[in-house]
Amino acid sequence: MATAQHPSTPSVRTGVQPLRAGQGTSFLWRKLHSLLGIIPIGAFLIEHLLSNYEALKGPAAYGAQVRFLNSLPLVRVLEWVFIFLPILYHGLYGLYIWMRGKSNLVYYPWAGNWMYTAQRYTGLIAILYIGQHVLRQRFMGISLPENPGAAFAKVQHELANPWMLAVYIIAMIAICWHFAYGIWLFAAKWGITPGAAARKRFGYVCAALGFALAVMGLVSIWAFVGPKYKNTPDIVPLAAVAVTASPVLSAPPAAVISAAV
Amino acid sequence: MANKTIALEIKRQSSPDAPAVWEKFELPWRPGMNVISAMMEIAANPVTADGQPTTPITYDSNCLEEICGSCAMRINGKARMACSALIDNLEQPIRIEPLSKFPLVRDLQVDRSVLFENLKRVKAWVPIDGTYDLGSGPRIFPQVQEVNYPLSNCISCTCCMEVCPQFNEDTGFVGAATIAQVKLFNNNPTGKVFKEERLRALAGDGGVQECGYAQNCVEACPKQIPLTNAISDVSRDVLIQKAKDFLRG
Repeated sequence: MATAQHPSTPSVRTGVQPLRAGQGTSFLWRKLHSLLGIIPIGAFLIEHLLSNYEALKGPAAYGAQVRFLNSLPLVRVLEWVFIFLPILYHGLYGLYIWMRGKSNLVYYPWAGNWMYTAQRYTGLIAILYIGQHVLRQRFMGISLPENPGAAFAKVQHELANPWMLAVYIIAMIAICWHFAYGIWLFAAKWGITPGAAARKRFGYVCAALGFALAVMGLVSIWAFVGPKYKNTPDIVPLAAVAVTASPVLSAPPAAVISAAV
Repeated sequence: MANKTIALEIKRQSSPDAPAVWEKFELPWRPGMNVISAMMEIAANPVTADGQPTTPITYDSNCLEEICGSCAMRINGKARMACSALIDNLEQPIRIEPLSKFPLVRDLQVDRSVLFENLKRVKAWVPIDGTYDLGSGPRIFPQVQEVNYPLSNCISCTCCMEVCPQFNEDTGFVGAATIAQVKLFNNNPTGKVFKEERLRALAGDGGVQECGYAQNCVEACPKQIPLTNAISDVSRDVLIQKAKDFLRG
């Protein structure tokens, strides 16, 4: 303040506080948030979209993919450690980040500022969507780990509701956007693309990846709602699939056979 | 020739706790006017547009050539230097407000000492003080000079902090200017002696991790400093420093 006081006079600080140099742990938590978005969450997203794409081959192939994933060693541990907990942390810490930012898009409607804001809204859509998706598809209704043959019909019944279909389409686009821009942000903020030209080039790469993932996801949704596999039986026999991902699994679980019969 | 006039609306506040009021001014147009020269006109004849006498406007300014960094304020909503804000390029009435993220002193004058405090906390200087003549410093290669010169252009105007969505009281983010100065002084062969300390400082709460990469800083910077490049480089250096500290600790 422009008053005649001695420079060493301590003044009561108002406004934004200066850097707490070297103090606190926010660096670790923020970087963990950033890293988890790529690995394992981003990696899982790609896996999920690739698995969804199997739906184009029909209910039996889709069921076989579900069965393969559920046959992975320690699958329940993998599910919690590499999917549920990271997404929960990424989502909650992401909200915390959002709460502490003060958007000024009204005054500064620049491209980067738009993306900054979009990253927050798409993240919110992702949290809400994933919450209901995991609840309804993983923990409610018929249990897919025990009945992988029921996977196609379960999703098909869900998407039969046009509102739910709209939710899935919006969430698919929002999540692919969030992931694509998230990779770009990761590269920029971890110093992988410190040059403006490199960030621009990598922006095209991320945009292409995000677009490809979104198209793949939307095409997979079409497999469930399109005319080709209409009225899929609640449980399809997976033995019909000649090629399975793992030789151990070539014999379908007895429960599935009996249910199919 | 008809007497052309210009219209200004200025947000005024007589003290940090006083209520803010808008005052309108109408001034005769002159060629090459800028916002500071307009406020000098008001000081010469402090009368509002509706004829009420008022006080001259309080604001910081010094060089009037966009090199001292004093006169940052919000002009038509955007943070920028008032001296280089030419009246002819602005939509009228020109709305002038103080920067919003710094404690207000009076009218358009704000207390931006948080930047000075931040620069001190990252040791943004080259230590050359000694009890004897240290001689000439090491040579700086032209390639390094090319990188450093744009960073050395920072005028501490705080526009990058004002426009940053992450620079606020909740985050206590250090802001782009300080991060760019860390890159500058870490690049200096003598300043390098504090490199590790600077990087550790920037990993503290409010440090480089708070950047959300909205990139407003680089858009707003009146000196075109490559701030986002600096944030990217320094973020990586901070990360590597923290990893080294963890593994050596």
